[in-house]
Amino acid sequence: MTFEELLVLKLINAISNQLKPKKMNKLLKYTYLTAIGMTLLSSCDQRLEVAPTQTIDENLALGTSRDVEVTLIGCYDGLQDVDLYGGAIQYTADLYGDGGDMRFGGTFANLLEIFNKQLTTANSTATATWVDAYNTINRCNNVLSALDKVDQAKRNRIEGEARFIRGSLYFELVRLYAKAWGDGDNAANPGVPLVLTPTRAISEENYRKRNSVAEVYTQAIDDLMKAESLLPATNTIYATKNAAAAQLSRIYLMQSNFAGARDAANRVITSGTQRLVTPFSALFYTFLRNGGANPAEYIFAMTVTTQDGVNGMNTYYGTTVSSIPGTAGRGDFRIQPQHLALYEAGDTRGEFFIKPTSQTYTQKHIDRYGNVPVIRLAEMYLTRAEANFRLGTTVGAAPLADINVIRTRAGLKALTEVTLPVIMKERKLELAFEGHLLHDIKRTKGMAGTLNFNDARLIFPIPQREMDADAKFKQLTQNAGY
Amino acid sequence: MRQILRISLLVATCLSVFVLRAQDRVVTGKVTSSEDGSSMPGVSISVKGTTRGANSDGEGNYRVSVPENATLVFSFVGFSIIEEKVNGRTVINIQMRPDAKTLSEIVVTGYGSQIKRELTGNIAQVKSKDIENMPTPSVDAAIQGKAAGVYVNSGSGKLGQAVTVRVRGNSSISANSQPLYVVDGTPVTTGDLSNYGGETNTLADINPNDIESIEVLKDASAGAIYGARAANGVVLITTKRGKAGKTSVSFNYQMGVAEATKRLPFLNAEQYIKFYTQAANTRDRLDGTDPSDPDSYTSYVLGPDFLGYYSYDTYGTSKQGDYNWQEKAFQKGPIQQLDLQLSGGNEKTKFFISGQYLNQTGTIIGNNLERMSGRLNLDHQANNWLSVGLTMNLSRTLNRRLPGDNAFSNPLQMAALTPLTPFEDPNTGLPAGTPPGDVNIPLYYNPIISINYGSFVSTGIRNLTNGYLQANIFKGLRFRSEIGIDLLNQNEESFFQSQTIRNQSRASSGIGANYGTFVTNYNTNNFFTYDNAFGKHGISATLGMSYQQSQTKVNFVEGIQFPSDSYKKIASAANKSDGTSTETNFRFLSYFLRANYKFADKYLLSLSGRIDGSSRFGANSRYGFFPAAAVGWVLSEENFLKSNSIISFLKLRASYGLTGNAEIGNFPQLGLFQGDAGYAGAAGQRPSQIGNPNLKWETTAQADIGIDYGILNNRINGEIDYYVKNTSGLLLNVNIPSTTGFLSQVQNVGKLENKGIEFVINTQNLVGKFKWNTSLNLAANRNKVTDIQGQVIEGGVRSMNRVVEGQPIGVFYTVEYAGVNPDNGDALFYKNTKNTDGSLDRTTVTNAGYNTAQRVVVGNPNPKLIGGITNSFSYKGFDLSVFFNGVFGNDVNFYGVGQYSSANGIYEDNQTTDQLNAWTPENRNTDVPEARFYRGNGNQASSRFIFDGSFLRLRTATLSYTLPTALVNRVKLERVRVYLSGMNLATFTKYKGWDPEVNSDDFTTNFAIGNDFYTPPQPRTIMAGINIGF
Repeated sequence: MTFEELLVLKLINAISNQLKPKKMNKLLKYTYLTAIGMTLLSSCDQRLEVAPTQTIDENLALGTSRDVEVTLIGCYDGLQDVDLYGGAIQYTADLYGDGGDMRFGGTFANLLEIFNKQLTTANSTATATWVDAYNTINRCNNVLSALDKVDQAKRNRIEGEARFIRGSLYFELVRLYAKAWGDGDNAANPGVPLVLTPTRAISEENYRKRNSVAEVYTQAIDDLMKAESLLPATNTIYATKNAAAAQLSRIYLMQSNFAGARDAANRVITSGTQRLVTPFSALFYTFLRNGGANPAEYIFAMTVTTQDGVNGMNTYYGTTVSSIPGTAGRGDFRIQPQHLALYEAGDTRGEFFIKPTSQTYTQKHIDRYGNVPVIRLAEMYLTRAEANFRLGTTVGAAPLADINVIRTRAGLKALTEVTLPVIMKERKLELAFEGHLLHDIKRTKGMAGTLNFNDARLIFPIPQREMDADAKFKQLTQNAGY
Repeated sequence: MRQILRISLLVATCLSVFVLRAQDRVVTGKVTSSEDGSSMPGVSISVKGTTRGANSDGEGNYRVSVPENATLVFSFVGFSIIEEKVNGRTVINIQMRPDAKTLSEIVVTGYGSQIKRELTGNIAQVKSKDIENMPTPSVDAAIQGKAAGVYVNSGSGKLGQAVTVRVRGNSSISANSQPLYVVDGTPVTTGDLSNYGGETNTLADINPNDIESIEVLKDASAGAIYGARAANGVVLITTKRGKAGKTSVSFNYQMGVAEATKRLPFLNAEQYIKFYTQAANTRDRLDGTDPSDPDSYTSYVLGPDFLGYYSYDTYGTSKQGDYNWQEKAFQKGPIQQLDLQLSGGNEKTKFFISGQYLNQTGTIIGNNLERMSGRLNLDHQANNWLSVGLTMNLSRTLNRRLPGDNAFSNPLQMAALTPLTPFEDPNTGLPAGTPPGDVNIPLYYNPIISINYGSFVSTGIRNLTNGYLQANIFKGLRFRSEIGIDLLNQNEESFFQSQTIRNQSRASSGIGANYGTFVTNYNTNNFFTYDNAFGKHGISATLGMSYQQSQTKVNFVEGIQFPSDSYKKIASAANKSDGTSTETNFRFLSYFLRANYKFADKYLLSLSGRIDGSSRFGANSRYGFFPAAAVGWVLSEENFLKSNSIISFLKLRASYGLTGNAEIGNFPQLGLFQGDAGYAGAAGQRPSQIGNPNLKWETTAQADIGIDYGILNNRINGEIDYYVKNTSGLLLNVNIPSTTGFLSQVQNVGKLENKGIEFVINTQNLVGKFKWNTSLNLAANRNKVTDIQGQVIEGGVRSMNRVVEGQPIGVFYTVEYAGVNPDNGDALFYKNTKNTDGSLDRTTVTNAGYNTAQRVVVGNPNPKLIGGITNSFSYKGFDLSVFFNGVFGNDVNFYGVGQYSSANGIYEDNQTTDQLNAWTPENRNTDVPEARFYRGNGNQASSRFIFDGSFLRLRTATLSYTLPTALVNRVKLERVRVYLSGMNLATFTKYKGWDPEVNSDDFTTNFAIGNDFYTPPQPRTIMAGINIGF
């Protein structure tokens, strides 16, 4: 009983004792009346403590092994975002690097700007990829900060997966938002800020400078090397040892560290965990023709279901084809004759296009709920062939053999000899519209349309919102040309 | 402080039990009008200083029991209040005089009411007559232009959608700036509950014809009694009560038709071909491509892939046609409304019963709103000290809704379709793009398919019930307890058949969704009021508490893979593709106090305050205190003015106080994880919010000084006010580097200011047989953001609205357009970077240098002046009322159409005809840059598309004729009135879009207003009606 209630009762008693019986009736009425009001008054205070029902307090979120495991799932959820491996990381490389193989016919200004290689600093793709990547990195950092809560038996795998995701994202960020490796001084060129701990409060130290390109590469390699050693060979749809090795091969290739790239690719191929699938068309349509499962060739992919995830490649590369129910897409990325002319007669990859309207589209991404491939085994053969060729080695296999593996699967005759241009063309055709173009141009010092590989216009701006949010502390530097 | 209040409440309670009552006597009499001597039914007779009273019956007779030495107060709307001492009489007949001055009217103040002449705060009142039978479904839209300083923007012509209301400017950036709505004492559920298209308007569940009066509490003195909830103003809605006497029955029927106010000129087929040929030619020239090259843009445009394809191969043939797609978006929308109201009762029990049926078809295809509502308001005098009452409102609102403005299925986006595309697919005879025909024609999805083969229907059931119990404890002291329940039950059901596949990519075998929203909102008010006079001293006081709790639950299920288009319920969906359930809660516990003192009817003082606690505030600041004080001086009661023949009333008043804004979301203070981060069927969580345990309400300190005046026996009367509102501790979603994993943190850091003047004048220009009255209100508000700690806060179309220190909130902030280079047709932009001497670099850059141009403030969406003027004329049975409202000095962002359809042919969209004036070597002096197919040349975000949105609108005009009483009495009726009315009959504006009164649903946030994105314009409505009383 509260102080007030006690007081009321005492007063009522005192008054009742004083008054004559005939006044009691009326008195009682008043008493009841006011008692109702008083009860309401005194019992409400505690009711202001209302806990959210939709969300939980951060202090309750990472207490158990299960809590950390579901946070790791949250990292995949973040990675699958349409502005990361759900699509934008890949199609940005295709659009940005394009030299006439396709035409952008949509209305999204952000994509048109990328296609025209003239971005504004507020470009929504450049903004979203940055924001979503760091959001996912924070999720990874939460997992990595709470490894002590994880059951011993799962700890290595959990750490490996979180490191795989974090390392992959730092790699993607540094090659989109900073100068290419080797374009000047890697140790001086600004990369992206490295954040390796979870954020729990906001203070001045959250306003960070960009680490150098070299530092970011070092971090990415460190994460992925640890991931490779920690991860199991198979891990259902999640990251595996091979996924980490394959991602490492990409990083080394970007650095022109051909030996590193070759060896990482070789580790993946010789593990035998993945195999090339035939025909080429069986690689795609994972939802419509493969029950949602990844083909045996996929090393890492983002899983899309009818309930979760969006295939961002499908959104723009895809189109609704009435004769294939389940296809969808805006039909914005239209493949041009220049590209179609690159394929030799009989190349099944050259036949893997569709023309439902006046426009031609690749069939790689027209399955609405298809999984989004990130890395598949064919790339490892092509990487090993290129690296071996450049180094004059035959680790794992001779370049010619690797190239012929890819050609044969595409329904083409085996070659008798290869040159670097042959290897690079094979790579282009095999991996077309899967997010390699821009980066292959940059590492081979080629041309994206009319722009040289090191043109400032081929580097994303640091998003305007980041520059604005940093206005008070001025830690971030914008890229040249913006 | 809380403790003190609670104890004083207690003491008051306990004192009350010592009360004794005196002996009573009965007084009877008849009330007549001084105008024609006719009897006056429904006059309120109250015993001064008590709650006892009665109403005169159908013949004007009354009967009331009074204590010894009582004073009777006779009041009736539009008539002067008469106070009559009983002095031992048992029969008192009274003649009432019509009152020009509205000063004697009762104004609802929140937990009480006050005579207007004694008010020290600023409260705007809108009476039932001003809003009845307006063809707008919600009452907030109906008060537009009627209350000084209240800015209302209906946003679009879509029915039942949110209306922006700002009382004395916008005083928040991130928290909600809509006023608090209180219906019969209960803060009702407002805000967006929509899961489709734009925000909905839960006030549309309330029948405006049930409303007796609307009071808008504007200054701190009036608002402080609502404490942490009053900074945006408080709108008190009071519904009609029964009056004793013969039961009066009123029947009203009106019907009419609405049509959109405007069309925009778009290219016809011939112009379209010419324009795009020109655009493609230019592009080929720039690319160095021969236009006759089959790969050229020109060949593409003129070839089978573009014009041929989108015209179903009719381009260049005799079948080529010209199709005005924009026109297909509009329709004539019939409206009908049926009202029945019954009012009556006796001295002990009074009732008001009403029912309404409204069916309004939108002016945009596919839009319809249907409302049925019923109300029972009951008052009962249980005995000489206790009265109880109930108001119950049940309504069902069915809204066939339109998608958001930024959806391809928004019918108005049809304006962008190729004018060569036939409306029907010649191969199937079905609307273009309907399967089995080619779904990729027209250029974009055809919204008609969604209307023919899909639906989104929202059905709201609303129960607003208030019960009260009121006890007179002793002379002058009353206790009142109110309980209000506001139940809102909303079902939203959508189904899109397989034909909509191009828009609904998952609809290959149909897609259906069903949302259930349940809002349970309880409120109780318990308070004492004391009202008494001691000689020249008058005292009234209110002391009490209120508690509110609100819970919102939403569930949702979605299904795909239906056996056929005949099955529309999710029961038949093979794949239940999505589902969720959510819940959120908030609670308020408040204690309030108000004391009014007057001396000799000349000097007025009011003190008020409220302590608010809320579950929304951080643990470190759970309770806030909001005090206010006001003084008034009735100069016309002073001897030096008392006998003045010109000035009949003059009052000076001043107030100062604090109010708060607690509309800050339900859990902004906590660091949170959310469990919505699943992946491929596995459950996942993620950090979703960074916490701030110090978070609290926003505080507004407001000072107001005003004059109430009456001239020439109050034939001219009105108010003038000046106010300054300083808001601090603004909740800002402070942008933080996203490298933290978060975009923003909510902090109480900002400051802003609103100041302005309000001017009201009511005049009786002609009296006598031909009457002419005018009321005018004008308000000018100046808003300035004074401190946002360097935050960048953006919103609106392409984030062009921005909060900038030293500027009004939400200014348009973008690159400044500099016109066209006459030499080459390039769009030019001012650089506006700072020179070393601090001046702005006014040199220009072209498209390639667009990024180097500095963004600057180029417009302000907040109006500088708003107002309304009503002229009413009456002669014999004829009444004519003409109401204009105006909004001046605000800018509107036309960049929705601007970036696509006034865009120099950058895309394939149909263009507005002004693009025909694009630069060519022969047409160098133009402000429309050269048309370049698929190349940006001036369609970048810039001031090019920011236009003056000022307008003056003939909002309503009503002509009515009341048949002579003698005539209608012969057919046993009391009153027959027929009328013709029109809404939005004319709009005077320079704005080039569809409608200057616009807030695009997909782009409007609290501060991002004035955006137009293919937004449907307001309807112009013509109605005829009949009103019969018997």
